[in-house]
Amino acid sequence: MANPMEQFSVETIKPLSVAGYDVSFTNSSLWMMIALAAVSIFLFVGTARPQLVPGRWQAATEYLYDFVRKMLDENVGPEGRKFAPLIFSIFILVLASNLLGLIPWVGAFTPTSHVTVTFGLAMIVFVTVCVVGVWRHGFHFLALFWPKGANVFLGAFVFVIEFLSFLTRPFTLAIRLFANMTAGHVLLKVFGTFVVTLGSFGALPYVFGILPLAVTVALTALEVLIAVVQAYVFALLASLYLNDAINLH
Amino acid sequence: MPQFDFAHVLWPQLAWLFVTFAVLYFGVVRLTLPKLGKVMDARESSISGNLATAQAVKQAADEIDARYHAEMNASREEARKAIADAKAKAAKSTEAKLSKAGAKAEAALSEAEDRIAQAVAKAEGALATAAAENAQAIVARLTGVEPKLDAAKAVVAAQA
Repeated sequence: MANPMEQFSVETIKPLSVAGYDVSFTNSSLWMMIALAAVSIFLFVGTARPQLVPGRWQAATEYLYDFVRKMLDENVGPEGRKFAPLIFSIFILVLASNLLGLIPWVGAFTPTSHVTVTFGLAMIVFVTVCVVGVWRHGFHFLALFWPKGANVFLGAFVFVIEFLSFLTRPFTLAIRLFANMTAGHVLLKVFGTFVVTLGSFGALPYVFGILPLAVTVALTALEVLIAVVQAYVFALLASLYLNDAINLH
Repeated sequence: MPQFDFAHVLWPQLAWLFVTFAVLYFGVVRLTLPKLGKVMDARESSISGNLATAQAVKQAADEIDARYHAEMNASREEARKAIADAKAKAAKSTEAKLSKAGAKAEAALSEAEDRIAQAVAKAEGALATAAAENAQAIVARLTGVEPKLDAAKAVVAAQA
């Protein structure tokens, strides 16, 4: 049985190094580039000649953009519109990586199944939230962690908890996406292996492979759903964190 | 898990992630989404503008309708009043004419009654004279003495 973790191994395609750091072009980099290319084509074609009455392609891009804008309107308010491009970038990169990684046979790699990548994305969100919060509210940004109307001792206690929970946000954000992607791909791989193992039962070939094959098909559909939902969750949480920085409470 | 082999996967992935994200954000999204946003906003404002225009036009139409109805009611009321006035005037003039005619008829009646009374008095006078003459003639035939007419008249009046 093939190791189900093998699919996550990062293979160097072209070794590179900058200032002593290893920045080799790997299969992970390659699939990030493929995702970038897919998103670029989608966006550039969709907005090539924007019309008041949109064509199909423009309608598709508008649908996604409108989705992000509505999410920001609902969770952040009118000032959230400024951050629509950022949240949109994060959302579409995660979505493209998740979905492209599910393509079978082509040796697809899912960058979002690596905690390094999801943590990098989470840090983009976290740093943005901190910068926006401090820039808008200055020292008063710390009021985010202080419970309103509590006495000093209880307040200090809650402050510590709130502050720690704020610091764990990038980790939870990163691990949620990474764990979902990894688990899904492992599950697919395991059931895929079952198809081969059970299907090659000598006395009665193929027959027993049908059940795990059906499960794999069902799981693939589920994974497509999860790929979309997790991209949405990532963007939704990013906008909720952004809301904290913009509106405090 | 290869994901936790950080010595091998950390820097290459982070570096390429930031390159990818920078290109995506500055080179793709920032160039394309504002165009899309402009079109979407234009569409939204054109739709809401059209809606506002439609609402204004509808309001104007409603106002005109209300004015039309008010005017119609007013003129209907006026017509009703004019009809009532005319009716009242006609009734009054009829009454006046009737009363005038009535008075005229009454005057004619009383005049006629007067005339009748006069005629009756005259006739009564003539009758008395005739009776007196008859009595005079009778007395003259019976006695051969013709009495005076005045005495005969007095006797007749006393007998009546």
